[in-house]
Amino acid sequence: MLMTINSFLVLDGSIVDGVVSETVKEGAVTSMLGIQTLQMGVFGGIVAGLFAAMLCNRFYKIQLPTALSFFAGTRFVPIASMACAILTGAVLYVVWPVIQNGIFALGALVQASGYFGTFVYGCIERALIPFGLHHIFYLPFWQTGVGGAALIDGVTVMGAQNIFFAELASPNTTKFSIDACRFLTGITEPIEFTFLFLAPALFGVHVVLAGLAFMTCHILKIGVGTTFSDGLIDLILYGVLPGQSKSNWMMLIPVLIVYFILYFVLFRFFILKWDLKTPGREAEGETAHLVSKDEYRKATGVGVAGGKTADVKFDEKSAAILKGVGGIGNLVDIDCCATRLRLTLADSRKVNQAILKSTGASGVVVKGAGIQVIYGPSVTIVKSNFEEFVDQVRSGAISEASFLDTEKVPAAESPETESPTAETPASGEIMKSYVLSAHMNGRVVPLSEVQDEAFASGALGDGVAIEPSEGKLFAPADGVIETVFDTKHAVGMTTDEGTELLLHIGIDTVKLGGKHFESHIIPEQTVRKGDLMVSFDMEAIKAEGYPCTTPMIVCNTDDYEAVETVAGGAIKAGQDVLSVH
Amino acid sequence: MKSFEYTITDEVGIHARPAGLLVKEVKKYDSVIKVTKDGKSAEAKKLMALMGLGVKQGDTVTVSVEGGDEETAAAKMEEFFKNNL
Repeated sequence: MLMTINSFLVLDGSIVDGVVSETVKEGAVTSMLGIQTLQMGVFGGIVAGLFAAMLCNRFYKIQLPTALSFFAGTRFVPIASMACAILTGAVLYVVWPVIQNGIFALGALVQASGYFGTFVYGCIERALIPFGLHHIFYLPFWQTGVGGAALIDGVTVMGAQNIFFAELASPNTTKFSIDACRFLTGITEPIEFTFLFLAPALFGVHVVLAGLAFMTCHILKIGVGTTFSDGLIDLILYGVLPGQSKSNWMMLIPVLIVYFILYFVLFRFFILKWDLKTPGREAEGETAHLVSKDEYRKATGVGVAGGKTADVKFDEKSAAILKGVGGIGNLVDIDCCATRLRLTLADSRKVNQAILKSTGASGVVVKGAGIQVIYGPSVTIVKSNFEEFVDQVRSGAISEASFLDTEKVPAAESPETESPTAETPASGEIMKSYVLSAHMNGRVVPLSEVQDEAFASGALGDGVAIEPSEGKLFAPADGVIETVFDTKHAVGMTTDEGTELLLHIGIDTVKLGGKHFESHIIPEQTVRKGDLMVSFDMEAIKAEGYPCTTPMIVCNTDDYEAVETVAGGAIKAGQDVLSVH
Repeated sequence: MKSFEYTITDEVGIHARPAGLLVKEVKKYDSVIKVTKDGKSAEAKKLMALMGLGVKQGDTVTVSVEGGDEETAAAKMEEFFKNNL
């Protein structure tokens, strides 16, 4: 955009070989980002930012024909921005100078109007500060004939600031000229901005007061210099040091006091009258504080998928990806390269490659703490959607529980929460999907490795086995005990979600006839996940030649689409081990 | 509806392995097959229920078969029991 303006300026002779021509008004052309262009203050940035944002929102998910797909999604935005920028630059070249001239004209007006002019000057200068355009406004006063001309030590000096410094330097000056006393400002932006946004009305009052301040100094012939900075330093250097006779700085003190009271009274009056919420006065419970981005998003929904929480779109693919990587707690970072979605995870073992592949990935690569999911050039769109989705989940717009199985690792005896969603398996029954937790402490053994054909073949149903490290059997979920075998080596229970489970301690242990087993439950008893159901003497059983491998079988496997083992290796009772859905 | 009685000879009764095989067998047929012992009944398709019956060696159970293919099913079931239980 700036280059466009620059081109125009070069074309019309305003800039010749990098030197700004004399005909151009002072301050009109400046160097921005290294490019000589019209001084637009912060407006240039605002305009550029606005259209970039608009284009981004509009185009960041755009899909291009496959051959161009590399440029799809977020990559298209810079391309669109460039086109837009050129257009905007051309428009600004024509429009902006008009605005600039307007500002200049104001300056001229001020000059001509004496005390009132000073007042207006003060007001305008202050009002322009939020836009950063005050520089262009006062620069003419400071540096050019607009600010007056004076004859000092035989040299014609133009511009108030120049005059001031000249007078400062000159031993002949007895009094700083009127023009010089137009300075009395400094860097007050921070505090101004604080109440500017909270209570714009107050800023209006402030503007008026500033104008009056200028005028007062004019009237009282106070002239203290400033060099873009504030208060005490300038006061001492340019007010005190030159001496009272020159700058009349002592008059400043009563002025300051008066002003302090004036500001306080007026502001207080207006704050109370209009009930303005300045810091410290917010509605009870609220405090004005820098709202973190997350809080802002939560509160307004802005920035969350670009929409309000009311119309949150649920992206299935992103939900599946999130599930496949182990949930939001496992996600550390999202990135992508040209063809792969790159995610950094807390625990890459939680990755479920099958789920990821079902989202359309052509492959999954696990590397240490991160994974790469290969989607091809369309990945930029996948990534954008995924990021939005993650935002929605993080901000609470979508609850993770609604689509994900929770991943927590509690102590053996404490209950865990499950997050069921409805699914319709082949049998037509609606079975809940959730994860059963380990029924023992020990080591996970795939069912197919169990030394009993009846179990290993899956004839009794799908499931998982655990080689126990201690002689205790715990309930893998909340439910009701259906059967306790006479021989106490096996328990049949139905979970609250309808899963029929058979937990069979050891292989062929029915032959022990109950020896070494102690049951803590009875049929029809309700149990909670983690409850101790059966204790057994592992050593004794093994001594008699029976393995203690304990399968957990889902007897009604047919009611589910799939029963999958989701853990391996060492396991503690209560940890997720078998997923049913 | 067809039914027959059978006395369990298998030393473990209707337990894990045989129960599993029974369930698999039963699923082949359309008919509803029930196993009753001492008045307690269990659908042969439900592993849990079957094992819950606690049928042991020496127990006599009544097996009932009801459905379109009960003729064949009943015959097959009886054969199954003889071979496995």
